[in-house]
Amino acid sequence: MTARTTRLDDRVRSALRTVGAAAKRGLGDADLAELVQIRASQLNHCAFCLDMHLGLAREQGVGMGVPPAERSRDWGRRLDLLAAWEEAGEVFDARERAALALTEAVTVLTEGFVPDEVYEQAAAHFEEAELAHLLALIATINAWNRLMVARRIPAGSTQW
Amino acid sequence: MTTTTDDTKTTAYAAEPPVRLNWSEHAPEVYKAMLRLDTAARRGLDPKLYELVKIRASQLNHCAFCLDMHTKDALAAGESVERIVQLGAWEESRHFYTEKELAAIELTEAVTVLTDGFVPDEVYAKAAAHFEEAELAQLISAIAVINTWNRFGVTCRMAPGHYRPGQHG
Repeated sequence: MTARTTRLDDRVRSALRTVGAAAKRGLGDADLAELVQIRASQLNHCAFCLDMHLGLAREQGVGMGVPPAERSRDWGRRLDLLAAWEEAGEVFDARERAALALTEAVTVLTEGFVPDEVYEQAAAHFEEAELAHLLALIATINAWNRLMVARRIPAGSTQW
Repeated sequence: MTTTTDDTKTTAYAAEPPVRLNWSEHAPEVYKAMLRLDTAARRGLDPKLYELVKIRASQLNHCAFCLDMHTKDALAAGESVERIVQLGAWEESRHFYTEKELAAIELTEAVTVLTDGFVPDEVYAKAAAHFEEAELAQLISAIAVINTWNRFGVTCRMAPGHYRPGQHG
């Protein structure tokens, strides 16, 4: 499969990267950032973004943001079960579940709003600055998903 | 609520819901970069077309704050009330728009409603027939960027009704 176009203004690419970097820095949880970005990319059917973020999570995931004592967590299994996180029991903790529920609500916006219970659950687990950056990260991956799907950038492409 | 209608003093409107989160105050670096992104994405696009795209995406994403802003910006840019009103039913009011605008609106819908699946070849091809490659890249960028703003607006429940055209430069 070839891309429809690989054209993208450098200023757009650079500014969106800055938005994403600031969002990730403010969230301060690299593992959660990957879970959120992968889940949004699943919902938006972005092959390029799934390939990139699953690759990052698999290669670096176990060590990313996880203290050595906690590295026994089965990161691969968490990625396998991410698409069914609601049914995956204790594989995802309450904070992650709140973030994933928010990711889904904010991503599937055309079917209507972000429910109060979803927002409140997220607000219960994240303080306001963290929540603002979590939201920014969800919004940013949604933008990348759109840029890649619309231009049909193939998974694994080095030109995007 | 602040509106421009004459009967606000005599009509009992529902209360304005409180904002959930003043996100830009909590994430000033993100906000700054978003403004830079917005400026970068609108370069080379016709201002009226740009506002139509922003309004249509905001309708699909139900972003009241963004609708308030972009309908007012559209009017300030010389857009007609009729074309703004008809935009929600553009498939039945095609004669209000140019073929180029229609191609952009169709692409806006496909790229915005992504969770229902992909961007159809015919929609992309039509856009590619009306926009040369660099301009098309800007159009796609503009659609992605308004989708980002919509997500901030809806999630934080930013209040519509207070925007003044040109407020954000």
